[in-house]
Amino acid sequence: MLLKTSLRSFFAHKGRLALSLIAIALSVGFVSGTLVFSNTATKTVDSLFSSTVSDVSVIQTPAKHGIGPSTGTPLTMPASMLQKVDTLPGVKTALGKISVNNAALINPKTNKVAGPFGGASAIIGAWGRDPRSPLKITSGRAPSGPDDMLVDADTAKKSGLHLGSPVRVINSLGTFDYTVSGIASFTTTNPGSAMAFLQRSTAEHDLLGATGVFTSIEVYGDGHVSNNRLKSEITPVIGRGYQAKTASEQEANSTKDTSSFLSFVKAVLLGFATIAVVVGGFLIINTFSMLVTQRTREIGLLRALGAGRRQVNRSVLIEALLLGVVGSTLGMFAGLGVAFLLAQLMTPAGIPMSSSLVFDRTVPIASYGVGIVITVLSAWLPARRASRISPMAALSEHGISSDKAANRKRIVIGLLVTILGAAALVEGAVKSSKPLVETGAVFLLVAFVVLGPLLATGIIGVLGRVLPALFGASGKLAQLNAVRNPRRTGATAAALTIGLCLVTGFSVESSSLVASTNSQVAKSLGADYLVTTGPTNGLTPAMLDATRNTPGIDHVTEEKYVLATITTGKVSQNFTLTAVSPSITRDFHAQVVAGSLQSVNEGAVTVDQTFAKNFNLKVGDEMTIDYGKGHVQKVPIGVITAKNNPFFDRQIYIGISTLAKALPATLIPPDNVFLCMAANGADKDKTYDALQHSLRAYPMATVQDHAGFNQMFRDNVNALLYIIYALLALAISVAVLGVINTLALSVVERTREIGLLRAVGLSRVQLRRMIRLESVTIAVFGALIGTCLGLAWGIAFQHANRKQGMGVLSVPVTTIAMVLVLSAVVGLVAALVPAFRAGRMNILRAIAAD
Amino acid sequence: MKAASRAVQSSENSGGISADAATARQVTKTYGGGETQVTALNAVDVDIERGRFTAIMGPSGSGKSTLMHCLAGLDTVTSGRIWIGETEITGLKDKQLTKLRRDKVGFIFQAFNLLPTLNALENITLPMDIAGRKADRAWLDQVVATVGLADRLKHRPTQLSGGQQQRVAVARALAARPDIIFGDEPTGNLDSRSGAEVLTFLRRSVDELGQTIVMVTHDPAAASYADRVLFLSDGVIVDDMNSPTADSVLQRIRLFDGKHNG
Repeated sequence: MLLKTSLRSFFAHKGRLALSLIAIALSVGFVSGTLVFSNTATKTVDSLFSSTVSDVSVIQTPAKHGIGPSTGTPLTMPASMLQKVDTLPGVKTALGKISVNNAALINPKTNKVAGPFGGASAIIGAWGRDPRSPLKITSGRAPSGPDDMLVDADTAKKSGLHLGSPVRVINSLGTFDYTVSGIASFTTTNPGSAMAFLQRSTAEHDLLGATGVFTSIEVYGDGHVSNNRLKSEITPVIGRGYQAKTASEQEANSTKDTSSFLSFVKAVLLGFATIAVVVGGFLIINTFSMLVTQRTREIGLLRALGAGRRQVNRSVLIEALLLGVVGSTLGMFAGLGVAFLLAQLMTPAGIPMSSSLVFDRTVPIASYGVGIVITVLSAWLPARRASRISPMAALSEHGISSDKAANRKRIVIGLLVTILGAAALVEGAVKSSKPLVETGAVFLLVAFVVLGPLLATGIIGVLGRVLPALFGASGKLAQLNAVRNPRRTGATAAALTIGLCLVTGFSVESSSLVASTNSQVAKSLGADYLVTTGPTNGLTPAMLDATRNTPGIDHVTEEKYVLATITTGKVSQNFTLTAVSPSITRDFHAQVVAGSLQSVNEGAVTVDQTFAKNFNLKVGDEMTIDYGKGHVQKVPIGVITAKNNPFFDRQIYIGISTLAKALPATLIPPDNVFLCMAANGADKDKTYDALQHSLRAYPMATVQDHAGFNQMFRDNVNALLYIIYALLALAISVAVLGVINTLALSVVERTREIGLLRAVGLSRVQLRRMIRLESVTIAVFGALIGTCLGLAWGIAFQHANRKQGMGVLSVPVTTIAMVLVLSAVVGLVAALVPAFRAGRMNILRAIAAD
Repeated sequence: MKAASRAVQSSENSGGISADAATARQVTKTYGGGETQVTALNAVDVDIERGRFTAIMGPSGSGKSTLMHCLAGLDTVTSGRIWIGETEITGLKDKQLTKLRRDKVGFIFQAFNLLPTLNALENITLPMDIAGRKADRAWLDQVVATVGLADRLKHRPTQLSGGQQQRVAVARALAARPDIIFGDEPTGNLDSRSGAEVLTFLRRSVDELGQTIVMVTHDPAAASYADRVLFLSDGVIVDDMNSPTADSVLQRIRLFDGKHNG
């Protein structure tokens, strides 16, 4: 019987439930979208590699942490090895392959790096027979002359290369020009980098600078022998220094990089889903509270007719359940759209995606789970309140009065959590404990949500006084309406509070980080310009010459990244050392705790204060550096630099001449960074222009002055901040839904009042203004609390990190002011429809309304 | 029918529309269309004299409330013309109508007259607040004293009895010094003692303050407080009685009920 009333009232109120439905669908949409997207991405990556790798691949064993492809040096093997492998039983065919990633592919016409997505990553190799090639020649021919190059179709399209176009390769061996002889399309999804092919002899000469070598041997079995078996037969033949990898081992390697990026995207998406779920929860609580209030009489009648408390409670919850089911279903399918959009976005970011989405059973389970649990949980409190309605109170004129005891409990809990949160925040700031600061911020956020109704009464009661002064009767009525049901106002504003707290907090953090780093860069960077390039390309000797010969340049310091295992005392760890030329002492400034910076040019290494403290090191202590393959050296620590120096923190510098004592010239990695200083008396801007001009032929190189370097750092920080802003946008759009929801239901609830006001002379304009002002008041209230909280958190965070490189506090006032204004606009926008509808109400019908 | 034509005549004799607080000419109001069309008012002519207390009576569905709503500019007419003072309100835009209601007209509804968020005094001054005008302090004090609410001004509506709430509504209607006050069964929800109180205040505001009041009621006792009673039936004014008493009104109703039935 009560099921019937639940169903009836669900359909009778479908208009009022519409916004809750959207909120549920939104939260569930993000959950299901995340799942579908990550399933699809994982499957795409897996299938991409599994269809193209060979059964067993043989390569030179890379030094564990030393020189290898990751620093741009290709590892090779003699061609004679192919013969040995090819004749093994079970091997159908073995192919020698040349493929490098240390060269830049350039379109000379535009003088830009060529690639399918504009990135610098290019794989260039020798074209040859490959039974599992992902490429098929679609126009032109395979490279057969020394000038021929085959490029992939995506790169060709993106970079404007056609048959006959000139194309250039720049690597440490020099600059080589070719002509596009053929274009090949991917038969699988694009693996995310440019691919180009030369004929074998040209590839040997131009890419490796050696003849009779391969970078790998790809082995294909005859189908009767397992890959593991093949591997065990190959391993003794190739001897020490080389290794064989089965197809599944190759896949595991290749998917590792992609997976870490995907898991980052997944984490961001789950963040979105969490925000949507939390904020949507408030909206649902509000909707059901209002429905219960509006139905007080109806529920009272049911109770008077003999319905039990539990039945009333259940009837509300059943309604919530229905809402949850419908919302989850909508959300689950909306998630497919989200996943599709993400897949489209990922492709330009270098992650290939198949076009068919993977929808497995985890998607409906998670969607319905989240949607239904959230809805029923959110409806729980209102349902309990409904069950407490007495038959008598319900039949009287006025709704239920606010529960004093509950209010007192709210104050006690709220204040307790506030004190705990504030204490944690201050303690964390003073003791430099980030987790404590974050715990404090979360506690305060919870406390503010709990205390929201009381704060609403207090703050709007005081600050709202400007409304009557500015807007007369409409303002006064708006102010009174906003605090009329503080619980409702509090819950409505909570969405904005959460959003603005996040945004303000992160803004303060990131802007302090940028400001602190800029001030340290100014102090520590003596060099005027930096020349950098992609991670595997390296800067070539030709580029070094071009840089040195630039008029106005005093000197150039080279930096090389070297992977090694370092041992201090009994502790070993993998570390990327930076090898530098002697003029480094002029280009970097550092405060020194002990020793002298000059020692780096006298066979010693530098360490920073934190490192020295962590591993209990002092000047003169020895460090063992293992570059792999038996290249080991012992060097003393020459200097300990003071902390908070962006160029020395978490860095170890070693002289290139010191490095050369342990490594043969062929194993010394290419340069990664040039630090350049303008000569005394040279015009810095003119020299900067001249430097850019000298390196014009090398588009993969980036030239920056101090401002450019600071800008790059700011851009990197901002890239993260944009994700936060996107989170804010989501929180705000759900908050808008919440405010619209509250206003729309309030307008319905106050129909008679509106009729009366109109009858005694409130004009439509004034009425609409009244509703807009109420909306803006709620929005600004939520925003203000969120901003204050975010500021407290951001400042505490900066203070906690003052000794870890965040010495400068910077509050982005413009951003915060803009966000506050935006929240007022949000209030205005949210009021549009409710205000319009209120204005159109027929006065007589409104007065007569029940 | 005779009564209705006499009402029209009297306004013409008094030398034009301006002498009356409100005037209706040939006002017709129909709802729906085609075969289901209902005529609520059928070519009604009415003149409400200034400074008098007029009651409108009639059985349910006679059109008495519709007539009042039309006169007050709350409802639109299908045809005919209506004036409040010298302003013709038929054809006015919503904005002008709102302003007119705010400045020239007072209302007392049967129930829900007060905004729960405002206290008694704020409710009384609401129309002036909306207009952005300052209340005339001396007049306000006089009104408050007349309705006997001086010690209840800071109370919220929920803290007042039904009778007190209606008295606040009367005070609000009076406070803005409107040209005319319309009451839609203002005592309909009150017990007889509270009702008598409210009606006494309305009577006094006419006698002592010179207020014009039009009140719809179905209660002969309430109508007896008026100077004049208009009787409506089937959308037509069927009689017009001056200086009514409860008995004479009751008799009139019976008479016209009888006519109807016979």
